[in-house]
Amino acid sequence: MLRTVAEINEKIQQQKAVVLTVEELKARVQEVGVTQTTQEVDVITTGTFEPMESTGAIFNLGHTDPPIKIRQCWLEGVPAYAGLGAVDLYLGATVMAEYGGLGDAEESRLNTVLPERGGGHVIEDLIAGKPVQLRALGQVTDCYPRPSFETTITRDTINQFYLFNPRNLYQNFIVGVNGGDRTLYTYLGPLYPRLGNAVYSNPGAISPLFNDPQLEIIGIGTKIFLGGGIGYITWEGTQHFPLQKRLPNETPIGPAATLAVIGDAKQMTPQWVRGCYFKNYGASIMLGVGVPLPVLNEQVVAHAAIQDQDIVAPVVDFSIPRRVRPTFGLVSYAHLKSGQIKIDGQMVRTAPLASIRLSRQVALELKQWISLGQFTLTEPVAPIPGDRTFLPQDRWGSQRASE
Amino acid sequence: MKKRVTLTFPRRAVQMPVTYRLAKDFNVATNIIRAQVAPNQVGKLVVELLGDIDEMDAAIEWMRSQDITVSLASREILIDEESCVDCGLCTGVCPTQALILDPDTYQLKFTRSRCVVCEQCIPACPVQAISTNF
Repeated sequence: MLRTVAEINEKIQQQKAVVLTVEELKARVQEVGVTQTTQEVDVITTGTFEPMESTGAIFNLGHTDPPIKIRQCWLEGVPAYAGLGAVDLYLGATVMAEYGGLGDAEESRLNTVLPERGGGHVIEDLIAGKPVQLRALGQVTDCYPRPSFETTITRDTINQFYLFNPRNLYQNFIVGVNGGDRTLYTYLGPLYPRLGNAVYSNPGAISPLFNDPQLEIIGIGTKIFLGGGIGYITWEGTQHFPLQKRLPNETPIGPAATLAVIGDAKQMTPQWVRGCYFKNYGASIMLGVGVPLPVLNEQVVAHAAIQDQDIVAPVVDFSIPRRVRPTFGLVSYAHLKSGQIKIDGQMVRTAPLASIRLSRQVALELKQWISLGQFTLTEPVAPIPGDRTFLPQDRWGSQRASE
Repeated sequence: MKKRVTLTFPRRAVQMPVTYRLAKDFNVATNIIRAQVAPNQVGKLVVELLGDIDEMDAAIEWMRSQDITVSLASREILIDEESCVDCGLCTGVCPTQALILDPDTYQLKFTRSRCVVCEQCIPACPVQAISTNF
């Protein structure tokens, strides 16, 4: 081993660490090769800014007097999950105001709730320091006699407020197209009929997990940039599928590893946490997430040197709404970023859904934190499992019935 | 000089070959950006007029004398740069490449002169950063 995390941290504290963004690193490797770059560089910063649906906020309201055991709760008309401790709440990014009801006597307020807003927007507002209206219904017990409560909260009037995201940082994803004859409104935005457009949602070779393809240097406990504040990798993400087919360079050919992350929302800024809405699909949230990669050895640099032409994603036809959708094969990120790809002999316009500009900016911001000695690295306390399969869900016994 | 105008035709004027008259009588070139014309219906044209300033004014005056409503304030797409996250989703639905991502900075670039105000970008924007001024 060339360097240890402890040695790198010592340099960071003395503001002597050499930090490159992953794009600067790729350029440097092109110039001087892997060996020399490894000698020169201590830390590589990666970043992404893209919609990450499986995101949500946990917060503790603080106890009312008399106390309430909240069983149902709405923030700006958006329902939050209350099946935890008395005043612990979880607000998911994709919950929408029109689903889940507003409780009684809310008819008039219903009209003022914008249907294009969801949990992601409420999380953004709280992070921005805006006041948010809260309405709660309680289960009356001897411990908690209060039946209902209404108030206005801000990030400063609640106790813990942190994002706990079960699935962020997808390692690669798909390219969506529509081979049918009507416009489809999807989580990738509108897909026009007869292959009218193609949307890719991963920023490609700059995306964090493409640069540590087997998750060898990051793991549980890795400190990251999350929404403009400090966060940590806490677990494998939901739908974590490291066994996805891989190219010889070890990068997956479709959706693969995912990570669960956590971070203090009180440190976050609305620039890096943005509620969003996809027409006729629903609400979501866009997050800036950055991951530092310590240059421990040459292999770290060799992996992070990967370019857009070396990585691919499958082109998936959304016109057949089944679990396994037909694909038009694989396409490289270099082609996707050129603005058009060829599918079945037809030129199709491509558009990203991740913000490549803001992804770069996350990497730059993290680089700055590290260069200024404000952000040190952590060693993982446990690895992310590399052997998870991706189970489908079929009705119990359906296999036997069809035999 | 160039001028973008919106023309609204009463039903009887739909039969008139207006762009021909503009070219023949006023030496004004008409580039049709958007058109909605059908027999016996009120028609709407968004056009870019190109010609000598006096001849263009005369052409507009003539159209008004024919009961065609000429609106100089035409509908435009507005991008709120504060809200925009440069994701680029709108560039895939824009038919004229008025909206593109700069190939180096990946910042959204809007070229107003290419825009045909089809408004497909408005619902495509996930952060509601695109609107029209009408």
